[in-house]
Formats: sequence, C-alpha cells, structure tokens
Amino acid sequence: MIRLENVSKIYDENIKALQDINLTFKEGELIVLKGVSGSGKSTILSLIAGLSKPTRGEVIVDGKKISKLPDHFASSYRRDNIGIVFQRYNLIPTLSVTENVLLPLFPLNLPRDEMNLKAQKVLKQFSIDHKAGVIVKNLSGGEQQRVAIARANINNPKIILADEPTANLDEKLSLEFIEILAEMKSHNRTIVVATHDPLFFDLDIVDRMITIEHGKML
Amino acid sequence: MFLTPETIALSLLNFLIAIFATIAFINGIKIVLYYDKEGTSAYQYNLERVSYLIATIIKFIFYVKIPLFIFFIYTLDTLSNLLPGAMCAAGVVTATVYGTPLLFLKILNLYVFAFWIVLNNEDMKYEDQPYLKSKFWLYLAAYPLLIAEIVLEGITFNALDLSHVVDCCGAIFSTTSQTYMAYVLSISPSILLGIFYGVFLLMILFYFLKNRYIFALLNIIFVIISLITLIAFFGTYIYEQPMHHCPFCLLQKDYNYIGYLLYIVLFIGTFFGFVIGLIDFKREQLQRYFHISLLYNTIYVGVVSLYPLIYFYKNGVWL
Repeated sequence: MIRLENVSKIYDENIKALQDINLTFKEGELIVLKGVSGSGKSTILSLIAGLSKPTRGEVIVDGKKISKLPDHFASSYRRDNIGIVFQRYNLIPTLSVTENVLLPLFPLNLPRDEMNLKAQKVLKQFSIDHKAGVIVKNLSGGEQQRVAIARANINNPKIILADEPTANLDEKLSLEFIEILAEMKSHNRTIVVATHDPLFFDLDIVDRMITIEHGKML
Repeated sequence: MFLTPETIALSLLNFLIAIFATIAFINGIKIVLYYDKEGTSAYQYNLERVSYLIATIIKFIFYVKIPLFIFFIYTLDTLSNLLPGAMCAAGVVTATVYGTPLLFLKILNLYVFAFWIVLNNEDMKYEDQPYLKSKFWLYLAAYPLLIAEIVLEGITFNALDLSHVVDCCGAIFSTTSQTYMAYVLSISPSILLGIFYGVFLLMILFYFLKNRYIFALLNIIFVIISLITLIAFFGTYIYEQPMHHCPFCLLQKDYNYIGYLLYIVLFIGTFFGFVIGLIDFKREQLQRYFHISLLYNTIYVGVVSLYPLIYFYKNGVWL
C-alpha cells in the first residue's frame, strides 16, 4: 500500500535526514518507527503525508506517486487519505472541540447537518463527546489528544500517521492511546507511529518495528 | 521622454516585469531542456518546485499585462492632449514610426498572454501536468515578444516630440489619402457588412454543430472584419459623422467610453472562440468556452448594430 523507494531527504546545510530508504507498508498494518530524536522518523511520516517531497527517490501510496504530486493535489490527497496525530496535537486552542474536529471537512462543502453528524459520531467513537462544546485550551493533555485523534479520523482516512503521540502523556493516558490505536487497527486502517516511547516496543498489536538511525534503516 | 504620471507608471511596471520575465525565461530554458516527468533525481524534484514558482511568476506577469493594455490605451488618449495636432490616441500612435507596430504587437501579445494563462490553468488541473512543457515552450516564444513590446513602448514614449505637429485622426483615417486604410475604407459597406454578419451567422451555425476548429477559424476572421467594419461603418454611426472613421475616439468621454466596452467584449468573445481550436478541453469546459465566445460576440454584434438602427430611427436616413 505504501512504498518508499530509494528515498533520501536532505535539508538545508546538507543535513541528511534520510538516506536511501526502502520501505513497504501493507494495508491494515500497524508499524512503529523507532529511533532517537533527529533520526528521521518524522521525515518519513511527512513524506507519506505529502507534506514534503524527497530529495531523491519516490513515495508511492496505492499506486499513486505522492512525491510527484503538485502541491495543490498533495493537499487533496492528504485530506482524503491521511489522518495525522501530532506530538503537540496542533489543535486551535480558541475553538471548541467540535469546531476543531470539523476543520478537515470545511473544504469538502458538505451540508452542515452532515458535518455535525460526522463530528458527533467520531467524538463518541473516541469518548470525547461529553466535551463537545468545550474550548480546547481548557482541556487536559489526554483530552486534547483524543480531540486530535478524532480530528484525524473524521474523514475516515485509510492511513493514520502518529508522530510521537505519547510524548506529552503520562503512562495511563499513553495506554489509553494504545487502546485507541488497537481500535483503529481493527477498522483495517494502516497506522504508522513514529516514537521512542518504550511502551510501544512490546505490543501485540504492532505488526512490525523498524529502527531508524541517522536517516538509515537498521 | 514624456514624463506624465501614466508613462512613469507604465515604465516602472515594465521595468519590474522585464526583470521577472527574464528570470522566468532563464529558468524556463532549464525546464524545457531537463524536465523529466518520470525522474526522481534531486535535480528533477528541484525543477518541479522551480516550475511551479516560475509558472506562478509568469501567470502574474500576464495577469498584470492584460489589463495594462487598457491602461496603455488610456495613456495614449491622455497624451493626445499634450501633442500638438493630436485629437485622440490615433495622433499619438502615428506620431512616431514605432507607434503602429507597437499597437499591433500589443494586440498580438494580448492573445498570446491570455492563451498562456488558459494553458496554464488547464495544466494545473491535472496531477500529471500534461501541458507543462508546452506552456514553457510557449513562454520561451512569448518572452521575445514581451521584451520587444517593453522596449518598443519605451522607444515610442521617448520619441514623442512636443514641438512636432502630428496628424489628427481625421487625416489618418481619411478616405482620400494614399494608404491601406483609405483602400479599406473605400470598400463598399454592403460587402463589408455582408462578410461581418455572414461570419457571425456561420459562427452561430458552427456553435450548434460544435465544430471547434471551424469555430476558432471563424473567430480569427471575425476579429479582423469586426475591426474593419467598426472603422469603416459602425464608427460613423457612433460619431454620427459620415467621414469620422477613427477607432480611438470611441474611447473618449464624448462617446461614453463605448470603445472600452466594444474592444473588451470583442477580445473576450474572439479569444475564447480562438482558444478552443488550440486546446483539447474536457467536454464541460469546451461547452463553457463555446458559450462565452458566442455570448460576447453576440453582445458585440448587438451593440454595434444598435447604433445605425438608433440613428435611422431618430433621423429617418442612413449615413
């Protein structure tokens, strides 16, 4: 489903984030990308999401060459196929939970009723529906995490990318997040988690663990 | 050089446009030579980013240049107040040997620049950008025209001489002078009108037959015959003077600036008619351009036809 072929990514000042990476992720797999900060895990996620382009090589998702897409098509691809859970959640703090979750739907010009129905469903799925009208900045870290996950799922994406999702959570909330991952996996989502949290390293739900070091696969 | 606010504004804009156009030209050469749609090298990815940026630069240059044509015509009209002998923009255009070629070049460029914009819009609609190389090839061809226009415009403004008495439009568009214009004006109005309305009717026919190539060809003929009939026939009814054939006085307040409306409508109608013969649009887009073209051409025909009819209704005679 997802293929990275001979992918290298070099940032300014010759920082080699990735070097000749070859990876394949199958549909419905949960893969953990493991490595220290700066190893290149997040770069892999941003390439799969079409947020950035490789310096060399190719990223292919469902037969579509993502790395060759013009920017405006990459945005549409991302909107339709990808849900992203960021380390710092990237929510808009002054909007309510529902408004944050609805954001990915606005470009689709759906009827308002349909949008609200989708929001209610996804908030309920991730057990945050009781906070629907609360302004996000007044939520705890764990609750914000759930809102971010709900937002990532509202378009029913095929691929979920999570970048250090438990970095700001305590162990209890991290375990709750892992339960949510298990649920998403049960819906046949392809999930890629970039983390250095040891909690992920011994999980049954993880299909594969890939170690990245200095931009290379070990 | 005439340093009026209008000429200064035009010159400054032209200077900026020339700089960005040259940057785009240099990068355009690299794109047409080395762009490889299937390539995954670092150079190719860089070219893809560059092509997006350069296409945006070119798009904005042309977005500015097209309305700037109207401002240029307006500038000529204001300059006519300063040149002894000139009554309208026609006197300014013919005041130097560069004016007429500049005007024709500007009209040609108008179509070329607008065509590039349409081609670019079409290219950006598809993930694989099917017209990417074509649009950059077209830009490489358009660049010398753009620079020639800018240079010629500067030379024209520079060559205008306040101490030199120029011809007024009455002399330039006279039926008695030994010029091509006098020859055109001497053609019988019934022949010219026959061609004008005949071409328009054929356009309607091929609009319904949806033959885009013949429709495009008819639009090319239509723009030429429209300008000729406007000068030779319809203009006289707008001025209500049988010997006044100037295509520039129409732009003045005395005639309610009707020239701006006529020229803009004619440009839009003929441009979209012409462009469907060159690009293989999707059915829906093709239909839209057919509609736009016929609609604007019909407005043009309607407005110019109204003047003789109103004149006849008011006076009971033809000019």
